[in-house]
Amino acid sequence: KYKRSPSEIFTCQLCGLSSPFTYYGQKPPNTRAIVLLEECFVTKDPFSPDKEKFLVLGSTCSMCSSCVCVGSDCSLFYTKRFCMQCVNKYLDQFPHQIQAELAKKRQSSKTAVS
Amino acid sequence: MDSDRRRHSRSWDWDSPECRAQLDDVFFRQHDYIQAGSPEHKEFWTFFDRFQRFKTKRDMTGSGSSRKEEKKDRKQTGHVDLGLPKDYDARYRINVSVCTRDVEERLAKSEHRGRKSSSGPGPQEVSDCRLALLHFLDFNQRQSFGKLAKLRREQKNLPIFQYRDRIVDLVRRHPVVVVAGDTGCGKSTQVPQYLLSAGFKHIACTQPRRIACISLAKRVSFESLNQYGSKVGYQIRFETSRTAATKLLFLTEGLLLRQIQQDRTLAQYEVLIVDEVHERHLHCDFLLGVLRTLLESRPDLRLILMSATINIKLFSDYFNSAPVMQVPGRLFPIQVIYQPIPPEEQASRSEKLDPRPYLRILQAIDQRYPPEERGDLLLFLSGVAEISTIQEACQIYATHTRRWIVLPLHSTLSLAQQDKVFDIAPPGVRKCIISTNIAETSVTIDGVRFVVDSGKVKEMSFDPKAKMQRLQEFWISRASSEQRKGRAGRTGPGVCYRLYAESDYDAFAPYPVPEIHRVALDSLILQMKSMGLGDPLSFVFIDPPPAASIQTAVTYLKEQGALDSHSELTSIGSLLAQLPVDVVIGKMLVLGSLFNLVEPVLTVAAALSVQSPFLRSSQHNPDCATARQPLHSNQGDPFSLLNTFNAWVEVKGERGGGSRKWCRRRGLEEQRLYEMVNLRRQFKDLLRSHSLLESEDSAPSAGDRTQRRDRLTERRKLHQLKRDHEQQEGSRRKVLRLDEGQDGDFSSGSDSEEKGKGKKDKKGPEQDVDIQEVKFKLRHNVSELQDAVNVSQDLSSRQQALLKLLLCRGLYPQLALPDEHNNTRKDSEQVFHTRNKQGVVIHPTSVFASDPEVLHVPEDETREMGPDRRDSSRHQLLAFVTLLETNKPYLSNCVRVPALQALLLVANSVDSNADCTRLVVDGWLEVELREQEEALNVLSTALTLRAEWERLLQAQLGQGSMGVSGVHGVSRKAMEKLSEGLVRFLLYTEVSYSLRRLAAFQTQNLYVGPQSESELFDAKSQGLNPLFPGLEAKPDPIKGGLRVTSFFTYNCLTDSKDLYSECLRTFWTCPNCDLYMPLTPLERMQHEASCRPKGEQHNEDPSDERASSSSSASSLCRVYHCDICNEDLKLTSTEILKHKRQHMYSVK
Repeated sequence: KYKRSPSEIFTCQLCGLSSPFTYYGQKPPNTRAIVLLEECFVTKDPFSPDKEKFLVLGSTCSMCSSCVCVGSDCSLFYTKRFCMQCVNKYLDQFPHQIQAELAKKRQSSKTAVS
Repeated sequence: MDSDRRRHSRSWDWDSPECRAQLDDVFFRQHDYIQAGSPEHKEFWTFFDRFQRFKTKRDMTGSGSSRKEEKKDRKQTGHVDLGLPKDYDARYRINVSVCTRDVEERLAKSEHRGRKSSSGPGPQEVSDCRLALLHFLDFNQRQSFGKLAKLRREQKNLPIFQYRDRIVDLVRRHPVVVVAGDTGCGKSTQVPQYLLSAGFKHIACTQPRRIACISLAKRVSFESLNQYGSKVGYQIRFETSRTAATKLLFLTEGLLLRQIQQDRTLAQYEVLIVDEVHERHLHCDFLLGVLRTLLESRPDLRLILMSATINIKLFSDYFNSAPVMQVPGRLFPIQVIYQPIPPEEQASRSEKLDPRPYLRILQAIDQRYPPEERGDLLLFLSGVAEISTIQEACQIYATHTRRWIVLPLHSTLSLAQQDKVFDIAPPGVRKCIISTNIAETSVTIDGVRFVVDSGKVKEMSFDPKAKMQRLQEFWISRASSEQRKGRAGRTGPGVCYRLYAESDYDAFAPYPVPEIHRVALDSLILQMKSMGLGDPLSFVFIDPPPAASIQTAVTYLKEQGALDSHSELTSIGSLLAQLPVDVVIGKMLVLGSLFNLVEPVLTVAAALSVQSPFLRSSQHNPDCATARQPLHSNQGDPFSLLNTFNAWVEVKGERGGGSRKWCRRRGLEEQRLYEMVNLRRQFKDLLRSHSLLESEDSAPSAGDRTQRRDRLTERRKLHQLKRDHEQQEGSRRKVLRLDEGQDGDFSSGSDSEEKGKGKKDKKGPEQDVDIQEVKFKLRHNVSELQDAVNVSQDLSSRQQALLKLLLCRGLYPQLALPDEHNNTRKDSEQVFHTRNKQGVVIHPTSVFASDPEVLHVPEDETREMGPDRRDSSRHQLLAFVTLLETNKPYLSNCVRVPALQALLLVANSVDSNADCTRLVVDGWLEVELREQEEALNVLSTALTLRAEWERLLQAQLGQGSMGVSGVHGVSRKAMEKLSEGLVRFLLYTEVSYSLRRLAAFQTQNLYVGPQSESELFDAKSQGLNPLFPGLEAKPDPIKGGLRVTSFFTYNCLTDSKDLYSECLRTFWTCPNCDLYMPLTPLERMQHEASCRPKGEQHNEDPSDERASSSSSASSLCRVYHCDICNEDLKLTSTEILKHKRQHMYSVK
């Protein structure tokens, strides 16, 4: 189940962000006690001088299985990964806090555009 | 149980280090993701505090109020149930978990056992800490991902991003591709990355400037997510970050050319990117030519030329109509305002620039734009003098309005001063940066909104006739004009004021003159020869330099001895081609390696190859001048530089970082000294690799084990300091003070600069860590350096004399003669003449400008021999490094040498009359000696010394080229004897002579010209031609007379008396053998050349005790057929003479 590949590219199906990943799964190397709660596309954290630090790029949406990055515009994690399209589709099932948060964000991005 | 828990909590204190340490044992063990003691660990606890505060605050405001509403929402759910938890918890939003069950269980057990005494963390504390850790991990993930997303967003927004696939596709399908894009399109950072991610490996990208190599490598490695790896590296002269893992390398054009010299096909690279080809630097034009031929043997090589959208067709056509990808730039709109300077404010050539047009623009900006609208002003002027004039005027205005900070920018400023232009002005105040064309391309300053363009530039040109560089003011080209304008629109819409009319603009040349058309081509031609590129005249340049310019360079290289008469490389020439310095400097190094003067020569050569460390602005500061005084040497500027370097190394050894202060007090730019020490090291390595210098004892100052360990520890510490510095570098920018520009460093002078010579390093010296000191310590062993320096300190007068001779021979033919009337002139009006240029003056920075008397012929030692003839034994010449004309032709970096001795030892052409009392050197200097006897002595000594010098030099070079290591080709004894001879000749030749420059009309009928057959036959029949063993004296076909050695022609001057007339014979006793007879000067020199002192003969060949003139050296003998005796005799030249004389007398 665990895949290791030196130079495969992860690409977000929503925003197009792409970057090579070095690991796919829930237990990136050298993370000891840390376990990921979903299967993730992982790379070495390029902004840390420490070689052992990892960075999660994205994972697959638990509903539609599309490949999405962890950016807040593209997906949301709430016990599981949801792509933004699915979040919007099932928005009513999400707790109020999340709904409010998303509404607020939509508002602010709208004002930024106009 | 509950009460138990409460009691337990009470004894738990989150702020106590002991308590935290106990949790560290759970979460941050030695092999954990985050380890106790690491920077992340520290960050975690800071985060923890914040997190706890946040939780307490949230609990108090009671944010759980919304929970009830959730159930209502649930009811609307459709057919799919996501199975989400009913109660919201921020924890559910984190996709990470931390399993520490093993540790917790262990902890629980120990707690169970010693319940009463333990104050360890209970399950609540562990859980609190875990939650904080989860949030911390999530926070870090978000932060890093945010950076990545921002990076990708910026990359996507660059204009060139749209062309990504097309560019990669073109490169795959074509050997050469031109990418043309204007400022801000992102080509320099993105194209190499596109190729990297397309799978190309071993990519080299050249840059015209060193600083660009470093900054691009940094940026691109960050962007390609490899900032802590070495996938992307740079390589410049003294620094490299390249490793075996490097796939993309930024390097300078010059360095790539050097690599081609070593590796003709550049097999190490798969892709070459040549950036900024439109700047048309000498190296770049040449590189393109070399690559054009290289492509034939490397069809697999990919070449990408990157250029601004200037003259693209030229590049495409040069490479067989290579495809062009044109990318739009990203500039904000810029308003152009033409404001030609009214005639009454135009400065005439001699006057200072009128500041009024510039001040009006400052005023206009103040009136039109509110101060809270930010945006700085960049003003382009042609040179340093112009800058200080306008700076002065603007400063007065700035002091009055308190709305401007005036800052100059040019390459002769100290780096600290240059660095100020990047600092930030306080609110309501604008920077007014007054710059040379350095800010056009080399230095990029963000935040500029207004540009003022004077339309002028000072550019170096080369006058091949006078062999002189000239710095002249020109109108800029339309391309430069656009480039300057573009500087106003980098960060927002801008305004460009042009101080010329639109019609002027239209009349500008479209492009600047390429460097290859403006400069001396000596080094280029030498490099071409060494690369085996054939006849430089037939090389296909992108824009061929004038043939005359190539010819001048070839002639010069011949004069320098780098090329032989067939224009082929000599052994010294091929060595010089590998040294990355001027030919004259390279020659010094080679010459220095022969004598015991390597250390000082290395220093001088390095010092003369970098900008002067003496800051111009400090020259008028009396404190600096006094502090500098002990460093000055009236032997010449190279000696002052030598003293300065030695003293600096001394200070470095004693006080380390204290050298910074030491330099500041003396008005020295320490950066130049660092450059010198690096360059010096490179020279030393080069000499060693050519076996011109014995390798140092292999054990590097071994020391005992503790010493070695100490040094290792220190190095590790230094490396850490360097890394730390690199991490935080560039993140801090100071805010300027309002009075920043008023430090009063108005440097006056006539200098300006060439493009690209500017900033090499953006590091200001005011930082806590002196990073230069750190790098210095990493690169050099101070005590070793001190040892080397000690050798060159306190040179004896003999060593000094020899060193001067070496410098002079290196610099030859760059010699200048003091004007004969200098004694009667003011200090400031001293005049000198070179062979090709009359009436040059000494640059005010030279020691001879302040102390010209040392060049005068002492009055009491001269003898007036006529109205224009002054005899003395104290005439001197100046050997100089540069002749540069700005407002006057200036000589810089001069050293004084005794005239006659130096000329006889270094000149390429010495011509004499019959009795050798009149000599003409290089066709322009006339020496008249009073005494024939003395003249012959001097000449003869010089010829002998030169022959020996040449022999040893060739032996040294030949040995170097054969790569024999260890055994030195030149015996120490022979070398010591030669240097002794040279020193004696230089210091103790007491011959009275006059020295003057020949007027043009005098040079016309200088020589007797070709002689008739009968005359030549005569000379031959006399058996006199082989004057020197091994050298055949032939009649000179042009000058007439006899060519005795490659440089000495005897009796070719028109006033010559008959070559063999008896009246020239004078009785002479040979000091070595017992010969006593009347001889002509020629015969005498011939005898002297073959007859050596008895003592020496013994030394040379102890087995032959009976050494006499007849058997002194059998190699000197030749077969002579005497017609009178009708016998074949084996005799030396002198013996032949003697023999013939016998007959002569017997006949009479």
